[in-house]
Amino acid sequence: MQADPRPSGFWALFAWFAPAVAVLLAVTLYPTGVVLWLSVHRTRLYEVVEGVGLANYVSVITSPAFLELSLNSLLYVFGALAVVLPLGLASALALQNIARGAAYVRTLLLLPWTLSMGVVGCFWLWLLNPSYGPMSYLMRSLGMEPGLMLGDPSLALVLVILVTAWWSFPYVMVMMSASLQSIPAELYEAIDIDGGGLRARLRHAVWPHIAPTLGSTALALGILYLTLITLILVLTGGGPLGSTATWSFEVFSSAFRSVDLSPSSVISVVVLAVNLFLGYLYTRLTGRVSG
Amino acid sequence: MLSWAVLTALVLVVLIPLSWAVLTSLKSEASVMAYPPTFFPTEPSLSAYKAVFRNETFGSDLFNSVLYAVGAVALAVVLSAPAGYAASRFEFRGKRTVMLLILSTSMIPGVALLVPTYFLLDALGLLNNAAVIIVVQAARLVPQTVWFMQNFVDAVPRELDEATQVDGANHWQTFTKVILPLVRPGIAASAVIGMVTTWNDYITVAAFAPEVAHRTLQVALVNQVFDSIGITWSYVMAYAVVSSLPIVAIFVLAQRWFISGLTAGAVKG
Repeated sequence: MQADPRPSGFWALFAWFAPAVAVLLAVTLYPTGVVLWLSVHRTRLYEVVEGVGLANYVSVITSPAFLELSLNSLLYVFGALAVVLPLGLASALALQNIARGAAYVRTLLLLPWTLSMGVVGCFWLWLLNPSYGPMSYLMRSLGMEPGLMLGDPSLALVLVILVTAWWSFPYVMVMMSASLQSIPAELYEAIDIDGGGLRARLRHAVWPHIAPTLGSTALALGILYLTLITLILVLTGGGPLGSTATWSFEVFSSAFRSVDLSPSSVISVVVLAVNLFLGYLYTRLTGRVSG
Repeated sequence: MLSWAVLTALVLVVLIPLSWAVLTSLKSEASVMAYPPTFFPTEPSLSAYKAVFRNETFGSDLFNSVLYAVGAVALAVVLSAPAGYAASRFEFRGKRTVMLLILSTSMIPGVALLVPTYFLLDALGLLNNAAVIIVVQAARLVPQTVWFMQNFVDAVPRELDEATQVDGANHWQTFTKVILPLVRPGIAASAVIGMVTTWNDYITVAAFAPEVAHRTLQVALVNQVFDSIGITWSYVMAYAVVSSLPIVAIFVLAQRWFISGLTAGAVKG
């Protein structure tokens, strides 16, 4: 007798998948339907008043506030990626190159990633406080005027990006380390036999091998940054003057204080759509959903 | 050597801010405000930590953090393991669709579901409910856990199933008696990542269970920062350290699973 790859009938199969699917339907898919439905209605607090078609979309998307949120979201995502990708890649390459102690160094470098955004936010709120914080002291000692730090509208987003990078570069490091370790040794040997040096190694073995992982890591982090709320909430609360408010931050902060839920719902749908698109690219790059 | 120079610089960039925060928690209230600031506390004291432990909601905040993290991970594994087994072992029409449905839900961001979920929970009277928080957090872990389980079951040779089934076992017995014990590394990796994710969450609990009796250490910490009147930085830093210690300890002890959980699926080759 051989193990039967087909369980007996539909209901037997259904039983294996039902618990997972039922919870996902209730917690994820059903609310997704509800947010689409809310986005085409007008509400008064938590009561639906009337259907308004796409009017909510038109009024939200054409507003100057939405333009600023979009700009902040883009600057934040690309700004943070521009810092973490080189840092993470450099640290992974360096870890690969040292003979001893790599495990200890990696543990130390990974620490920020294990901390919550709330904790990281508190730490940096303290380090960056303008009156007696070490950062402003350091800047003054170097002859610079620190100003309001996180309270400065022209500086706040940059500082939030740098804190985000401090917290999340270890993720890139881990991904790139794993990718580097999966390069077959024969590839290096072949290049050595052909007389190639370090440059040839980087160009012909390392780069083509790690490029897809670098891409998928960038997408995964892009999705994370786009939906990130807590760090911004703690560091700046979206301020000063809305200079650090992103789409997701706006969803969170307006959902619980506005009279009409529909503008938050519209922005939720925008975040959802952008995310699904990035997620689609991610699965193409990783071959993760191949069924 | 260049590699060591890069790593030393990065270690300093990571450790100096971390140490500054931790050392602040050991300073007295007065020396925290000293200018110019000092790195090391002149008279180290544990009074900020004593104040954290004396805080009357600390016990319930800690209890909720543990309850939600352990509950969500356990529930996610229970829900996902059978699906992972079935996805690995059965061939049937529509399998690709089912797996796509499960995995694509992981691309729907939690933030997009804040408004509708709050709306639904409010209508059903289910805000501030520990079971709801556990189910919501577990659902976030399910797609990844199913995918993990499928990969780990794939790695178990089918001959083992066949040998068991020749002895008269059915699929459920094969799954519970043979497969589950062998895929413990997969369960460990899912559990460590799920534990860190749930423990560190602020948004889900703050939005759906804002009442003091149901909040976690993370929510209590962030609320203290908003409560800016009379904020004591040594106290906030001590609270942040205490609320991070369990998860940092899990990370250090289970680093292997943490890293395999992070990299699974994202690295080809």
